[in-house]
Amino acid sequence: MKRISILLLAAASLAAAACTGDATSSNGGNGGGGDDGNGGSGGSGSGDSLNQTLAARVVDYNAALRIAALRLTGSLPTLDEINQIKNAADDTAKKTAYGALIDNYMGRPTFAKQMFGFWQDAFKIGGSPDFDSGPALATELTINNGSYMDLFTKADMNCPKFDPATGTVTEAACANGGTQAGVLSNPGVMASYFSNLGFRRVRWVQETFDCVRFPVEATNAPQDVGGATPYLGVWPFTSIAGKKSGVGRIDFQDTTSTMCADCHETLNHIAPLFGNYDTKGVYQTTPQVTLPLDGAPKAQMTDWLPAGESTAWRFGQPAADLQGLGKAMSNDPAVASCGVARVWNWALGKTDIVDTLQTVPDSTIKDQVAAFTADGFKLKDLIKAIYTSDDFTKF
Amino acid sequence: MIRFGSTLTLLIGASLAVAATACSDTIEEPGNGSDDNSAANGASTGNVDNTFDHNTDEISVWDLIERQKVEGPPSFTSHVHSCSKVRYANLANVLSNVGVDINSNTQFSAGALYQAAASAEGVANYANRIRENIGITTSGASAMFDVFAAAAPEVEAKLHTLARCQQNGVAIAPLFDPTTNACNIDAITCLIGVPATPAHVSLCNSAVSKGSTPDIGKGIAVAALLAAAYTCE
Repeated sequence: MKRISILLLAAASLAAAACTGDATSSNGGNGGGGDDGNGGSGGSGSGDSLNQTLAARVVDYNAALRIAALRLTGSLPTLDEINQIKNAADDTAKKTAYGALIDNYMGRPTFAKQMFGFWQDAFKIGGSPDFDSGPALATELTINNGSYMDLFTKADMNCPKFDPATGTVTEAACANGGTQAGVLSNPGVMASYFSNLGFRRVRWVQETFDCVRFPVEATNAPQDVGGATPYLGVWPFTSIAGKKSGVGRIDFQDTTSTMCADCHETLNHIAPLFGNYDTKGVYQTTPQVTLPLDGAPKAQMTDWLPAGESTAWRFGQPAADLQGLGKAMSNDPAVASCGVARVWNWALGKTDIVDTLQTVPDSTIKDQVAAFTADGFKLKDLIKAIYTSDDFTKF
Repeated sequence: MIRFGSTLTLLIGASLAVAATACSDTIEEPGNGSDDNSAANGASTGNVDNTFDHNTDEISVWDLIERQKVEGPPSFTSHVHSCSKVRYANLANVLSNVGVDINSNTQFSAGALYQAAASAEGVANYANRIRENIGITTSGASAMFDVFAAAAPEVEAKLHTLARCQQNGVAIAPLFDPTTNACNIDAITCLIGVPATPAHVSLCNSAVSKGSTPDIGKGIAVAALLAAAYTCE
């Protein structure tokens, strides 16, 4: 069967590496993929023909304007706006007129409403004041050209209210207690993603802001830990709870059906930071998340980690609390790249980067990521850069 | 440290199954059985000794390979616009922008059809952590085309009266000439949101002239122009 043959072809190259112990490094890209090449045999055309297709595109500022107007304001451009570009003397004048209209669109109240919808979709929450406060915070940062990293580190006034009728955001503090850290401590997020051991909260953070699903940390020296497959993690195998560590009521070191630790090496070092939020997203002084055992007992620290282990964003990047987690995330280049990739995909009409694997190779957005980083992660500047990029304006 | 990517994870999941079987000489053909879209081996499924069955709703490796075979690799597709549907809220604005009353309760009016099309258009269901689906579906496109067809009379009557369609503060001529029924290029531009070309005008005139009556032809012309312009946002 043709489809199986394709998979086997792809898998065979990796299988060979697995047998010889040579792990192949992904070259990253947002949403993974590792596809930074120029097409290859798997695509609909050769790398050369696809490059030629890209090179053959021409600038069409009027086509770009209609898309930009719909995304940035939700409405169509006016006839006068269309004619401003159409009647401009040359491409330089058209580009100037187009850029001015993008600035104009981003200054309207409707821009705030569009961004609120964008963040609701990105966070997959909304519909009530509590659930809307996370998207509202992101909207506030966007329309004020704030730093994307404030989403993870802002220490106060993290539960603003958004009025879609006026496109305005009113600042407000969260009332759910605990350390405040942007949307990481948001009551709506905590309530919406409540789960056993807090893992859904961790998954939300991982997929929303790092753009890939677990597992996310891998070594180039897999270890045989007695399972059917080797352990690929970078953390010591005994750094998480399980039978071999001798702690915890869930065996995260189980190897019988799959290598649990490949994901839980990271999950278990983050999840305790979210464990004290209850079903309503309110911070308590003891863990509120439960275990998937009879009676749904409350989790204890040893259910995630053995004594002596500390919470962390990644191996070697400790995070004592959610502020620490936010700071570690804000220092992670992959988080910045993911933010750019999400805005990029929104602008270019792609579906969700994680759910549908609409990956964005690093090479595609390297200029935007570099500018975003150098600019202090300012969101409005990022949007302008993407909406005026060659890829957005060429067809 | 190596940073895993999702595509790589999927392929590794599949390849490890192949690797394991290759090493033990007991090959089990992937996808053999009834469910071609089952999670790749290596996904976090539980067993009788495990305490928890994990969610394995990730995209099928088969679908991913098929999509990239048709569309091209991310190194190409990430550079170009996709054809996403007009978001449901934006569709209301688009309809209003061309003269449609989206709050109409009149049966079979464009407004009433729009209001009834929320589910077909894949609106978000945040209570279940589902964002709005911006992919084009058969039901979504069908519902949208129904709205466009129903919108034609309103568009024809109101488009030239809208402030959005004025040129330097002056109203444009109607979409169809009252005497000859000829299509007006400025009105088409306002309708589709980009400068209309002679080809647009020609197709519009052709639709009008080939209708069983001029009014039916005009309806077809408006609906066709709207569908062509707004199938993709």
